[in-house]
Amino acid sequence: MSTLLEKHIVELLQERNDKAISLLYEHYGDTLYGVAHKVVRDEEMAQDVVQESFVKIWKKADSYDASKAKLFTWLFRITRNTAIDKLRSVNTKNDKEIQIDVSDVYNLGVHSLRPDLMDVRENLDKIESKYQIVLDALFFQGMTQQEASDELDIPLGTIKSRLKIGLRELKKLYGTSMALIIVICSTF
Amino acid sequence: MKEKIRLFLETDLLESYLLGNTTTEETLQVERYIAMYPEVRETYAELQSNLEAYAKMHALKAPEGLKARILQKIKAQDAGRRKFRRFAIAASISAVMFAASAYFFYNQNQNLHQENAIVNTKIQDLEADMKQQLEDVRNQFIVLNNPQTRKVSIKGNKKAKDLKAMAYINPVKKLSYINVQSLPQLPENQCYQMWAEVNGEMLNLGVIESADDKEKLRALPYAKDAVSYITIEPEGGNIAPTVQNIVANISY
Repeated sequence: MSTLLEKHIVELLQERNDKAISLLYEHYGDTLYGVAHKVVRDEEMAQDVVQESFVKIWKKADSYDASKAKLFTWLFRITRNTAIDKLRSVNTKNDKEIQIDVSDVYNLGVHSLRPDLMDVRENLDKIESKYQIVLDALFFQGMTQQEASDELDIPLGTIKSRLKIGLRELKKLYGTSMALIIVICSTF
Repeated sequence: MKEKIRLFLETDLLESYLLGNTTTEETLQVERYIAMYPEVRETYAELQSNLEAYAKMHALKAPEGLKARILQKIKAQDAGRRKFRRFAIAASISAVMFAASAYFFYNQNQNLHQENAIVNTKIQDLEADMKQQLEDVRNQFIVLNNPQTRKVSIKGNKKAKDLKAMAYINPVKKLSYINVQSLPQLPENQCYQMWAEVNGEMLNLGVIESADDKEKLRALPYAKDAVSYITIEPEGGNIAPTVQNIVANISY
């Protein structure tokens, strides 16, 4: 992501200008909604999560430290934690388990989503699902490699190599668009 | 050193930190490694880019209206805050006013306390004074009303023919009084003064102010065979009687 835009948004956030929220939503709204949906598996709940996350982002704007994390990392942490909390509260309310374990990872891929929700989704299907599973475990479930190995019943060595390949594939995909952004930026 | 970094990277702590899953202690450790070792720093930057890229792949078109709802919620939040700020300002102003008025009333209270103390002392003085006077009056009454009281009429000698006075002497109660009824006019620089010779000692009983002393009973020190004198003295009184100016004497 363009760091210039990040800087601008962070400045607006710290000036408590609500234009920051507009900009954040325009640039990260769909992604964060996707993240929330990935965790809670429910459209309505995901909307609530995104809404609560944005309120938190607005309230905690002062606590963002650009030297410690990229803006997106910070947004992701808030959204993911809000989603996990939401799931927990729903679980305790309904007194039944909503599984966010391996079975979900297997069952709920891209194919489970409505086509109209997929228009912003790029490239995901270009990564083989066996790599996606490991990437999901790392980025969405917050598992260590050992935990992923235990959960998925895959040897640790295999997890490591799949992660390596998965990340390489990922880099191949976004590497091109990053290069494009760099070219565009340098022309200004 | 390389080994240390490799071991650290193998722990997955950096990944946990990326997602905000580390404890405070772990966070500090990770941040120290990021600050100290470029390899760790690079790995972290790469992880962040990977996370962003991977998350973006999961982007979903958010429903229409969600943005508007969020902005509304944030405006409401801010209004609440502003309301709170306004309330806070009002509260601090009233706190300051309260403090000021408390100080003002405290001062006023202190002043009233002081005034109250002064008034109380005055009342006590007056009471004491009144008791003294009442005591005097009672003693006078005892003397005047007592059958053993002798009433002695005193007249002035040729130096003050118009001098008239009454002395009341009670040897039993050992009290005596004198009432000067009239005194001849004296030049401005002279005055009448009373004395008593008690047990061979001459006592100064003070200057007689002719105007207001007519109804006053003056106590005389009592002693057996005492003698009182009225003399003419320079204005303001004298320290010893001028014998040639004796205008009256009373022996009792």
